[in-house]
Amino acid sequence: MATSSAPGPVTGPATRGNRSLADQLRSWPDERLVGLLRERPDLATPAPADCAQLASRAATRSSLNRALDLLTRLELSVLDALVALSAGGHTSATELAHILDAERAAVESAVRRLLDLALAWEGPTGLRALTGVPDALGSLSGLHPVSGRTPEEAARLLAEVSPAARGMIEHVEAGSGEADAGSARHQIRPADAATPAEELLARGLLVPGRPGLVRIPGEVQIALRGGHTTRERIDVPPGLATSERDADLVDRAAAGAAFDVVRRVELLVDHWGTSPPVALRTGAVGTRDLKAAADFVQLDPPATAFLVELAAAAGLLAPWPDADGNPAWTATDAFDAWCNDPAAARWRRLATAWLSTERLPFLVGTRDDAGKARNALDAHDPGLTSRIAPETRRMVLSALAELPPGQVLATGTGPASVVARLTWKRPRRPPSRADQVVAALAEAAHAGLVALGGLASYAAALLAGDDPADRLTPLLPEEVDEVLIQADLTAVAPGPLSRERARDLHLLADVESRGQATVYRFTATSVRRAFDAGWAAHEVHAFLGSVSRTPVPQPLSYLVDDAARTFGTVRVGHAEAFLRADDETALAEVLHHPRAASLGLRRIAPTVLVSTTPLDVLLPRLRELGVSPLVESVDGTVHVSRPDRVRARPRSTRRTEEARLEGRLAQVVTAVRAGDRVAQNRSPASPQLTPIGSLAALREAVETGRTVLIGYVDNQGVSTERIVDPVRVDGGWLTARDHRADDVRQFAVHRIRSVNPVDVAP
Amino acid sequence: MNEGPLIVQSDKTLLLEVDHERAGDCRKAIAPFAELERSPEHIHTYRLTPLGLWNARAAGHDAEQVVDTLLEFSRYAVPHALLVDVAETMARYGRLRLEKHPTHGLVLVSNDRPVLEEVLRAKKVAGMTGARIDDDTVVVHPSERGNLKQALLKIGWPAEDFAGYVDGEAHAIELDETDWGLRAYQKEAAESFWHGGSGVVVLPCGAGKTLVGAAAMAHAKATTLILVTNTVAARQWKDELVRRTSLTEEEIGEYSGSVKEIRPVTIATYQVMTTRRKGVYSHLELLDARDWGLIVYDEVHLLPAPIFRMTADLQARRRLGLTATLVREDGREGDVFSLIGPKRYDAPWKDIESQGWIAPAECIEVRVTLPSSERMAYAVAEPEERYRLASCTHHKIDVVRRLLDQHSGQPTLVIGQYLEQLDEIATALDAATITGATPVKERQRLYDAFRAGEVELLVVSKVANFSIDLPTAEVAIQVSGSFGSRQEEAQRLGRLLRPKSEGRTAHFYTIVSRDTVDAEFAANRQRFLAEQGYAYSIRDADD
Repeated sequence: MATSSAPGPVTGPATRGNRSLADQLRSWPDERLVGLLRERPDLATPAPADCAQLASRAATRSSLNRALDLLTRLELSVLDALVALSAGGHTSATELAHILDAERAAVESAVRRLLDLALAWEGPTGLRALTGVPDALGSLSGLHPVSGRTPEEAARLLAEVSPAARGMIEHVEAGSGEADAGSARHQIRPADAATPAEELLARGLLVPGRPGLVRIPGEVQIALRGGHTTRERIDVPPGLATSERDADLVDRAAAGAAFDVVRRVELLVDHWGTSPPVALRTGAVGTRDLKAAADFVQLDPPATAFLVELAAAAGLLAPWPDADGNPAWTATDAFDAWCNDPAAARWRRLATAWLSTERLPFLVGTRDDAGKARNALDAHDPGLTSRIAPETRRMVLSALAELPPGQVLATGTGPASVVARLTWKRPRRPPSRADQVVAALAEAAHAGLVALGGLASYAAALLAGDDPADRLTPLLPEEVDEVLIQADLTAVAPGPLSRERARDLHLLADVESRGQATVYRFTATSVRRAFDAGWAAHEVHAFLGSVSRTPVPQPLSYLVDDAARTFGTVRVGHAEAFLRADDETALAEVLHHPRAASLGLRRIAPTVLVSTTPLDVLLPRLRELGVSPLVESVDGTVHVSRPDRVRARPRSTRRTEEARLEGRLAQVVTAVRAGDRVAQNRSPASPQLTPIGSLAALREAVETGRTVLIGYVDNQGVSTERIVDPVRVDGGWLTARDHRADDVRQFAVHRIRSVNPVDVAP
Repeated sequence: MNEGPLIVQSDKTLLLEVDHERAGDCRKAIAPFAELERSPEHIHTYRLTPLGLWNARAAGHDAEQVVDTLLEFSRYAVPHALLVDVAETMARYGRLRLEKHPTHGLVLVSNDRPVLEEVLRAKKVAGMTGARIDDDTVVVHPSERGNLKQALLKIGWPAEDFAGYVDGEAHAIELDETDWGLRAYQKEAAESFWHGGSGVVVLPCGAGKTLVGAAAMAHAKATTLILVTNTVAARQWKDELVRRTSLTEEEIGEYSGSVKEIRPVTIATYQVMTTRRKGVYSHLELLDARDWGLIVYDEVHLLPAPIFRMTADLQARRRLGLTATLVREDGREGDVFSLIGPKRYDAPWKDIESQGWIAPAECIEVRVTLPSSERMAYAVAEPEERYRLASCTHHKIDVVRRLLDQHSGQPTLVIGQYLEQLDEIATALDAATITGATPVKERQRLYDAFRAGEVELLVVSKVANFSIDLPTAEVAIQVSGSFGSRQEEAQRLGRLLRPKSEGRTAHFYTIVSRDTVDAEFAANRQRFLAEQGYAYSIRDADD
């Protein structure tokens, strides 16, 4: 009867109840099974042998927990009610809708989802929760098991009791639903009830529960809650706190951030491509490297950590051995391809990577449980990843996407309301989810998906699986290939420059301000840098002429010419030795001597030759050529050379070392002797002394100046025996000369187990 | 993408394309909160600074307006981080307020207790505040009002000052506009100063800053103390005030090295104010001599340190700073703002020029090559001697002579730093020199003769850098300067900028020795003017 009354969409066509979940799964069309496996991927690996196996796998505790995590507050409540009701027999969707404080349609769709997820199935007696569900679900709404009556009957009974009893049961219900009945009699007829508690017990509104306690049966609780399983409505997700904002403004502001994040990632990865920071043992980027990067991209370290993580997630950065063979974070080959993509495509790659990464960049810089600061890209820190991070991001953005156009999240209260919404949607997620939600909003703003509390239209397209380029491209600055050069020796590119132009300008001028536009400043140094890179003055002029939208200002042309004039006035080069002579012909003779070809001689001035041959080789060769050169020393004075007399310098024997060795041997012997004495003097059973006893014995030894054998337990708990000459005893410490160490030592009195006088040969 | 004239950079600079049709609107819209940093010919650079944003808050703009303005005029999307930063910065203003308490006098009040606690624990604020009245209020020593405001600014919690200004002793002052009128920008400057309470007005040399001062006095209608750079400037102020306002000569006193008068309007020189006798600034008491209703600082960029300190004690009086070049090589521009007040009005030089109020000027750098003997002397000279050697080359005299030939008949100034060099030039050209050693009377005579056209050439030292009104000067030749001082360069150009008859262009020559520190310093000196849009052209002396 129950199944037949269920509405069409909930039960499959022609289904009259299944014998088991496996049976139900078997009856499902393929696409519905695919849907189940998509939502609960853990059921699919490894592929189950048949529906029976699938059904049993779906009922395992771990799989159930995962599936329950996917439910909203509404769906959980429906499941909870289902659990509560099915204890009392069969259940239908209609009944569920009846006792749940929700719209019927909402309950029905929730039931459908429970069926889709194989958390409930339709048995012969109606809807049934999967066997493991009650345990996995726990007590969600605080409902106790029902005891066979309907809520209506319970309501009738409730109407009979006195106001005091009513107050009492409401109070218990508002608490845990359990109470200590005290001295109230349990077995009693309604007419004999003397106290409110007895009134309730007599009518079965309270029943015995755990030892010594009474509880309210489920159907009474439902009756008390106005016929519903919950105290509040469950089908209305918490609203978002919003304010008005023009959607165009949101798009423009977000696109600004989008452009910025792309530009900064490019800047940073390009920089690391030339000077990669060495990865720590954990794979992380060190704090110092991160700080240097932050200075480079003009952001604070947390924002830079986000960029770094983003670039790595997008596959633009990867560890690679550097020149020393240590792994260092280096630009990947994908980065080069990425750079050549249009800006919108570049952003898409970053945004997609952010949406799907499980890493939590916002935690970089915070301290882990051990109090250590977390580093960016640390692969070993489990705290930096979260399995639910991608889900959090998608859900946050979806929540924003649901806002009507022109509405954005309110500045102060907005994030908190998103947290509340997400808690409703996934109540079983851990509380740390709240931090992730707030961080996701902040990161989305950094990454250019969200601005001013609203979701950008192109980001909504991305979320929906469409290409955001159509909407994003018009918002991004167009590439320019001309700059405005001004008389104060600055040049402004009023938009992003094409890569080639940008590279040339970077060489020729210093960057003063970066952003969508770039401001360059020409200085003598920067122009000289271009000359160093092989540019000629006319090339610089031609380049400036072609790149400038306006005539090139005269001071700049002058600067270029001036730099060209002084460029190369002084030349430096490499030489091992020089030859100089006031007699030019003498030098010419050497230079053109047929056997001088191998000396690498070159004339750099009429009276100066340089050679690439080191002096010690050059000198004998020159003598062979018949030249008798005079050698100048480093400071320019004449150096008279004479063959060095080579002398060996043997190692001097170290007397001190010998003495030290002798000393050590002596110590060893002393120790050995002391040990011998210990063995000699060990009494068959040294009496164990109390601390007081040993104190007395030690004091006596100090007084008499006797040598004693003490049994001592050292710091490591090792028991030793020492022969000592006690000097004094105070403050719980014995000061004595230890024969073994041949030194004065201190011993804790409480560690001294025994004291025995010994006789020492003098 | 909208076709706005503004590009907002993530490093908080704003680039304004001047030739854009909406550039004018945009300039007006962003002026209240962004500071103009450079205004060369094509693209002007503004910067968003905390100070500028707080000033905008003080003037009644909120973060929403600022953000909307940026979004409205921006050509490209505005970086989100910048918008957040703007909102956060502006939210810091006004958490603390300076108020007059009926019984306790000056108090610092906050309705954000953590902020007050943070501030009171800051080292910079230590000793400036007195007893705690209640959780949200603390007494401020009245003498520390200025210091406290400055300290709060530095730690990022600027206080809104509701304590108001003293009116000062009333004295009737009216502008006498019978045969002239206040120019629009002068009126605007005076009004925005008056509404702001205190602050700095930045106008190019020759644009009539004195009249802005006079207009401010006419607003205040109270006794006024005017601080100027030197005696000649003091006399010019006096003449101008007598001519342009209802004040008579008897109402205006001069307080300088030679004369010590205290009248309802008193004009004092910085020099006399900072004269010390036995280690005591004996004349600083002038500041307390009367109940001044307004204090005007002429050429405020030159404000000497002792006056800086005194000004900190004058926070209850209205203060007007006037300058053309708010750049200090000692980097203390910020102190000027926090002590005198924020910038209330600023006009790019080229704007005033295009309106015809200052003469157009052509700036030319002439490079001379040192003869090899001097080059050698330069190459081996001690570092501190190098600039003098390079800038005083005898070669420059020939160039000066040739330039004079080129501009014969036009009133010309030759300006330099080193007296020997000036003497040498004066002797070679047979011209009169004015230096610090020249008596005031003789200076006045020579200036008058120059204005009257009787003398066509003056060789002047740095005494003529400021506040000297020589409207007829058409050509200036700079042979040396105080190293890389940007404001000196601008002030010297300023001597030429009084509008000329027939709209003639002024010529400003700088003679520089090639390949020496002289050229390096010249490059630095020119930055301010280049950023104001003056395009220097560079010539070789041999051409």
